[in-house]
Amino acid sequence: MLTINNLVKRRGAQEILSGISFTARPGRVTGFLGPNGAGKSSTLRILLGLDRATSGSALIDGKPFAELLNPLTTVGAALDGSGAHRMRTGRAHLRWLARAAGLSRSRVEEVLDITGLTNAAGRRVGSYSLGMGRRLGMAAALLGDPEILILDEPVNGLDPEGIRWIRTLLRERAASGNTVLLSSHLMGELSETVDDVVIIHHGKVVANGTLAEVIGNHSTLEKAFFALTSERAGEMV
Amino acid sequence: MRAFQAELSKLLSLPGIWLAVLIGAVAPAFIAALDSTAQKEDIIAGISTRLSEVGYIGLAVGVQGVIILGVLAVSSEYVTESSESGGGQQITTSLTAVSSRLQLLLAKAGAVTVISLLLCMVAILTTVSTTQLILGEYAPAFAWSKLTGAVCYWIFTALLAFGITVLTKNGVIPLTVLIMNSSVVSFSFLLSKVTTLAFYLPDRAGTDMFMIMSDRIHTPFTGGLIMFSWVAVLLIIAAMVFHRRDVAA
Repeated sequence: MLTINNLVKRRGAQEILSGISFTARPGRVTGFLGPNGAGKSSTLRILLGLDRATSGSALIDGKPFAELLNPLTTVGAALDGSGAHRMRTGRAHLRWLARAAGLSRSRVEEVLDITGLTNAAGRRVGSYSLGMGRRLGMAAALLGDPEILILDEPVNGLDPEGIRWIRTLLRERAASGNTVLLSSHLMGELSETVDDVVIIHHGKVVANGTLAEVIGNHSTLEKAFFALTSERAGEMV
Repeated sequence: MRAFQAELSKLLSLPGIWLAVLIGAVAPAFIAALDSTAQKEDIIAGISTRLSEVGYIGLAVGVQGVIILGVLAVSSEYVTESSESGGGQQITTSLTAVSSRLQLLLAKAGAVTVISLLLCMVAILTTVSTTQLILGEYAPAFAWSKLTGAVCYWIFTALLAFGITVLTKNGVIPLTVLIMNSSVVSFSFLLSKVTTLAFYLPDRAGTDMFMIMSDRIHTPFTGGLIMFSWVAVLLIIAAMVFHRRDVAA
């Protein structure tokens, strides 16, 4: 369970998040939507303890990230790119992570297999395509078999087969009672995958509910999204 | 302990670290060999004024290996992937694997310390053997106290490089400044000609742990203490900055 409560983030004079609140519940895939610069990545970074909130809270099972004892077994995250150094091999990257979490080397081979990277595992990350880098990021997120997944644009750079793989994987994780939060701006893809939707715009939540609730009277999620975000943009001017 | 093991594994799987290890293990012996050869005649004739420095000079200059180690340990975390690869940084992965930033930094500093210690022991071995091979019976006796001083000098230098890079996040500036300072021209040496305060700079004070220079003003112990204080203060500042800093900043 992820609980974001009245989160505010300012950087200098700029207000990136202006008091956003929402939850991502177990057993459901929650889609986090918004135009570029709306504050999606900032929210995910604060949730993972990478950035500090100016005020408000972002809790993982009721605790801030810094209080988790072995974070990899509670929350798996894949943010930008692969999150690995380009001179290291994919396998070496997962091995140091496994050591940090006290996991076995055989678990590394398992996640390499799950993400389809076994054959590329001995190559340097710098030689990976964007899609392979994303798969390595997913492998790292899945390493500790966590109850919670936090993914920033997970399908970005993946081929159609990869996109289908992610969709199936996330549905399976949710079906077995795990919490999945993913950000994306691919509406079509998102409406195939998520149960709940949170839309933010200019650092504020403009819609929050089940997929059906957010779509409302619009014919698609995309139409609902543009109605919500351009309306707001109109108000700001 | 797990975080420490992860940091060791992280460092040893980075090719750049092996360059550092190679430089650290070979460069001191190479410099000591050059110096011993150049000084050989004077030493045999008994007129060398630098007998006490022979060998140690290699250990003083050959510290570059651990400078690279200390810098890379941190700068590798902040290398940004190309935008075609998604523009990620390893630091996000590191921080999501260990929830306490202080623990992560300590684990990293610990890994740098252990590798520097081992590397300096290898360097001492190669340097002492080279000097003895070239100078034979004229080789100076290597005192354990001074060799311990050299080990401390290497570890402290690695930690200084480490601490500075935590502050800059980028390896270019610390690497350039520290390598130049230890090989081409030492700023503190030049400054010491102008003011005695320069003797309190970390590298100048630290060399007093194992080099007997004509113009030194510290005992080996005070020299070590001064350098250690620099390291301690720098690491405390680095820890405070690292603890508070946003990854996105």
